[in-house]
Amino acid sequence: MDKPSHLSVILDLSPTQWALCAQSTNPPGISLQAFLSQLLAFFNAHIACKDENTLAVFGALPGQSVLLYSSTGEVVAKDTEPTDPNTYRPFKTLDATVMNSLAEHIASFDGVSEEAPIGLVGCLTKALCYINRVTSNSSTPSSEGEGSAASVDPRILVLSVSPDQSSTYIPIMNSIFSAQKLRVTIDVCKIYGAENVFLQQAAHLTGGAYVQVEKPDALLQYMMMSFLPPPALRQLISVPTQDRVDFRAACFCHKRIVEIGFVCSVCLSIFCQPVPVCSTCRTKFPIKTLQRLNASRPLAISASTPGTPARPPAQRNGTATPATPRPG
Amino acid sequence: MPSVTIKAPMESQDASTATAAASHSLITFLQSQSQNMLTRLYQKPSACLSLFRLLRPLERQLVMNLLWLDLSIPPSTMAAWVTREGKKPYQDALGTLARLHILPPSAAKLALNPTFKSGLRQAITGGGTSGSFGVLAENDEKHPAPEIEALDAYALERWETILYYMVSSGTGQFPAKPSAGVLFLLERSGLMASVHGGALQITSAGFQFLLHPPHVQLWELLLQYLQMAEERQMDLVEVISFLLMLSTTELGKDYSTEKLSATQKAMLEDLRDYGLIKQRTGSIGIPKATSRRFSPTRLATTLTSSSPPLPTSAGSGDGTHAQGFIVLETNYRLYAYTDNPLQIAVLNLFVTLKSRFPNLVIGAITRESVKKALANGITADQIISYLVTHAHPQMRRNKPLLPVTVQDQIRLWELEKNRMKSQEGYLYTAFASQADYEYVLNYAKQLDVVLWENASRRCFFGSLEGHANIRGFIERRQTAGNA
Repeated sequence: MDKPSHLSVILDLSPTQWALCAQSTNPPGISLQAFLSQLLAFFNAHIACKDENTLAVFGALPGQSVLLYSSTGEVVAKDTEPTDPNTYRPFKTLDATVMNSLAEHIASFDGVSEEAPIGLVGCLTKALCYINRVTSNSSTPSSEGEGSAASVDPRILVLSVSPDQSSTYIPIMNSIFSAQKLRVTIDVCKIYGAENVFLQQAAHLTGGAYVQVEKPDALLQYMMMSFLPPPALRQLISVPTQDRVDFRAACFCHKRIVEIGFVCSVCLSIFCQPVPVCSTCRTKFPIKTLQRLNASRPLAISASTPGTPARPPAQRNGTATPATPRPG
Repeated sequence: MPSVTIKAPMESQDASTATAAASHSLITFLQSQSQNMLTRLYQKPSACLSLFRLLRPLERQLVMNLLWLDLSIPPSTMAAWVTREGKKPYQDALGTLARLHILPPSAAKLALNPTFKSGLRQAITGGGTSGSFGVLAENDEKHPAPEIEALDAYALERWETILYYMVSSGTGQFPAKPSAGVLFLLERSGLMASVHGGALQITSAGFQFLLHPPHVQLWELLLQYLQMAEERQMDLVEVISFLLMLSTTELGKDYSTEKLSATQKAMLEDLRDYGLIKQRTGSIGIPKATSRRFSPTRLATTLTSSSPPLPTSAGSGDGTHAQGFIVLETNYRLYAYTDNPLQIAVLNLFVTLKSRFPNLVIGAITRESVKKALANGITADQIISYLVTHAHPQMRRNKPLLPVTVQDQIRLWELEKNRMKSQEGYLYTAFASQADYEYVLNYAKQLDVVLWENASRRCFFGSLEGHANIRGFIERRQTAGNA
């Protein structure tokens, strides 16, 4: 049970959202600076738990995703200052490396590509690739007696401040499936902003915790209690899970988040309105079915705006599909 | 009588390994220490961090949950953190933490020991002025810090000298002797004993020790060292905190001895003998001229982690594969890809070795060889676990790892040995009448002390504990009968 665990952290570093978060008073926000100092303490705590614990930190910046730190040493801090005897060396290196590479990347763009959406998906896939490499490396030589995949307990923690981007629905879903396959737990910590539908689903489907932070001052305590215990320990320690999960999906045609969608019976693509030809697999649907479906559509659907629809009742059974068009 | 003398150390050994699986041996040791001493120990952030790492996972999580809280919280709130399956481990964890005085038990409010809390907080956030993580020596042009390979080789050489000395004692070979301090420690810990005032001989505890993984061996010796330190009037807090500090130091760096206390400077010499640190000494015979710098070896830096404390054993390939070299077949044949004298000597404890090649030893596990090992006090489980931990990577593909027939047979051979069980007690005979006999026997049965009875001969055998009662009972009956 006491085996090393790997943690990949994904930081949402959207400048706009952090600015909003720092100014926000209701609900109370937190500045990036304060957030980082609490985060570093959390990192140190993770390493402190076990000498063999590993850590990778990814930054989701507008339009790009970067590796900020990894225990395997891909990122090295430029200036190695003399160590002081009051600090445990690995902590010092970790903190310095994260801060340096963060400062470097933030300095490298000044509002040029401000409007680009953050590279959350890029981070997720990079984190999964990293985990895949770490687990497959460690499994070959040192497997301790029994199975190899069990030698590290990988998990991903997403610290999010940005709202959902409905255009990323498909890649996020694909990442979730790969995470399930790799047996990676995805934890989500929503520091600022409304609930994030896709990340909620990610946490739910991989058995992770989803925490909406209400008091950002106590962020460290939230993280210690919910995200520090490795998956093996969560059988004993309860971590917050959601009782209501928003299972809405985004349609493939307009990337809207839909409550009622229309699913291609061949390839399971989701559409917000009945279509004569499936855009993914080119299946043609009979005109009669289309008419019937159009007639049965509730009127509210067409009026719903993309991005922030009204919160629907929690659904437990996935996307609601009132009727499925059948190809000829 | 011999059965008793062999049994006693075995039982204590079993008990200690059982607790080691549950809790680290140092933690067990500290639980018996005074609160005063522990509080002094917790003043060092490095000690807090290292101890924290030795705790069990649930205990660590509980400490972390409480670490950043400024207020104490009611036990009922804390109990809500654990799931239903976690109730029992949770109570265990609270017990351990209470005995370590990290989380004083209280019915109303639970909060971490303030000294420990500030110590661990400081370790995690850095800062402070304690200097407890070791002061690096300034770079010295003349004496650069030793290479990691050199340190590894040094640690390995020291450690294997000790083990090889143990395993080859009494075989007529005379390998290199470890220093007097080490020999004294080995004797004190009961791993070796001198027979009739002669040379040191390995004991059955020593044989068991040899089959333990290096981590356990190291801590076993260090705990013994701690007990000796108490008798040598050394300050236990200083000794433990120095060991814990070493575990947070970095491999391949030079540390300065200037900030160390006198006790800790005295320890350097002992630790040098065990291979935990490397220190340049002056010319032979002038111990005063030691360098003012020391470098911890891998043995020291991995004290609180579970990564292998020793680099590859000499000559068995590159790092990661060093652990496994044994191939065991279903026909009891054993192939060991090694040329390390220590490993061969250890194998020789329970394997009949047949042939030797430059990098390979072939032998077989036989009834005689296993019985010899069992007679030395080694248990079947220890043999099996040694074979498992040192299995060749090729063996790792098998499920189960060791051939079942061989495992079962080793266990059966052990059972053969345990066919007889001795128990001390008293035989009660010569009862005057059958009624008398049954009356006393009934009383003894109520006490549950009867081990054997024979109604036709009117005698029964009671255990040692029950004797006083039974005797009193018979005497009372006699006086009552006489009166």
